[in-house]
Amino acid sequence: MNSQRFIFLWFFAILLAGSCTNKSTSNQPKKVAVIVSTLNNPWFVVLAETAAAQAKELGYETKIFDSQNNTALESDHFENAIVSGFSAILLNPTDSDGSIVNAMKAKDAGIPVFCMDREVNSPQAATCQILSDNYSGCVAIGKYFVQSLRTKATDAPIKYVEILGLVGDNNTWNRSKGFHSVVDHYTNFKMVAQQSADFDRNKAMEVLESILQAHPDVNAVFCGNDAMAMGAYQALVAAGKAKDVGVFGFDGADDVMNSIRDGKIKATGLQSPQTMAKTAAQFADEYIKGKRDFAKKIPVAVELVDQENIKDYSTPKKR
Amino acid sequence: MPKNSLKYAIVLVLLGVVAYNSVYFRKLDEVKASSGSTSKFDPVAYAQTFWTSRLLPATSSATDLGTLLTLLKTDKEKAIDSYSHALGIGNIRYFLVKGEGKINAISDNDITVSLLSGETIKLATEYIFGNAVRDASGLIKITEFDNTMDLNNVSTELNAILRKKVVSPFRASAKVGSTVKFVGAIELNKEHLHLEYLEVIPISVNSH
Repeated sequence: MNSQRFIFLWFFAILLAGSCTNKSTSNQPKKVAVIVSTLNNPWFVVLAETAAAQAKELGYETKIFDSQNNTALESDHFENAIVSGFSAILLNPTDSDGSIVNAMKAKDAGIPVFCMDREVNSPQAATCQILSDNYSGCVAIGKYFVQSLRTKATDAPIKYVEILGLVGDNNTWNRSKGFHSVVDHYTNFKMVAQQSADFDRNKAMEVLESILQAHPDVNAVFCGNDAMAMGAYQALVAAGKAKDVGVFGFDGADDVMNSIRDGKIKATGLQSPQTMAKTAAQFADEYIKGKRDFAKKIPVAVELVDQENIKDYSTPKKR
Repeated sequence: MPKNSLKYAIVLVLLGVVAYNSVYFRKLDEVKASSGSTSKFDPVAYAQTFWTSRLLPATSSATDLGTLLTLLKTDKEKAIDSYSHALGIGNIRYFLVKGEGKINAISDNDITVSLLSGETIKLATEYIFGNAVRDASGLIKITEFDNTMDLNNVSTELNAILRKKVVSPFRASAKVGSTVKFVGAIELNKEHLHLEYLEVIPISVNSH
């Protein structure tokens, strides 16, 4: 009787254990989560939707999570993704430091994280980070900046203003460093003011308006993104200097591409959110299929768009 | 009693050995210095070694520029797949090329050369910037680097070597009408290919 009870209990235990396993994995497609910093900005909408579409095309079930620029909400999304059995996370982090702990959580749960466009400041947290080559893009802009301003006399003094993005953002400084790695070679180029406008169009306009009060004779303005370039251009129009002062941006936003076409803005660096998103989805697929040797960071080329080659970009890219 | 004392002695020795091997003291300065030296990348030394022991030997395998230009016009995809390199992904590709021709003109920013194959190109002498020299040979692998700023610094240092060792002497000795043999790097956008304003960053030049 005792042995019969023992065998019964033993079988019951086996069945109980069996019932706890996840039967769905073999039949249903694996899932890939896309966690994006914000869906309020069309640029990030393109990034998230392209990543999800590419993962879907590769045979995965996908879901987009909007972190609303809030690290705590991003943390909830990570917990959700871990519990729901996602096989990979394509992440556009809200904060390069604040998102580390979230990515580490996924890593500890055995889920690979692929960063898109923005980086996390830890090589261990993400399997691979696919990022715009901000530095090299701004090297190209810096070269064009010098070339276009050195036309009259090679050593004539040039005064310029730099408007920075968010000072806590790595992209801000990579762009600034790339630009200065070229421009600082030329001693006649003098930066009369360097101020942050937080990547914001209206702030950039206000910042440049006040700089122009102190330095009415500037020759050019370099801005860390296109929104600020548009704001700077507005300030120059209001001051009646739009034709005398060259404005340079970064991003490749449609309104700036059109302004380059109209000769209002000199140049920008065209980023490709589509390339970053597709690559992240492909890498996730490769990881799930067994590949492990990924480069920690992969730069995505930024193309210089200027007065000479704008005709190549006649159709605005779908964003 | 002697048995017990022997036991205590063995235990004490064992404890001593374990304690000696598990606890040690080092000056904080030394720890900081040693951890710094292992993680700090030296772009100047890396660029110098890469230049002398990898890039210069690789110039012998550069693609003939005339042949490349013909192939780019007839079969762009094949030309890009076979001869271009880039550490990043996207449309910007770099080629390691060689050519020979006659100097037509010398300006502040470049030296115009008519190639034996008929095309006219410019050898850059002023704006030596970007990643063309670092990437064109395809010898540096992205997996060697965890930090993209290290990669950027390698480009900066390679360009500095080039300005000093190649461009300055070439600029000083170049004369219109003289023949020039060069190996260099070019940058092309594979989506928006323009072969008419080709600018070559010289890596080695012989003019006579």
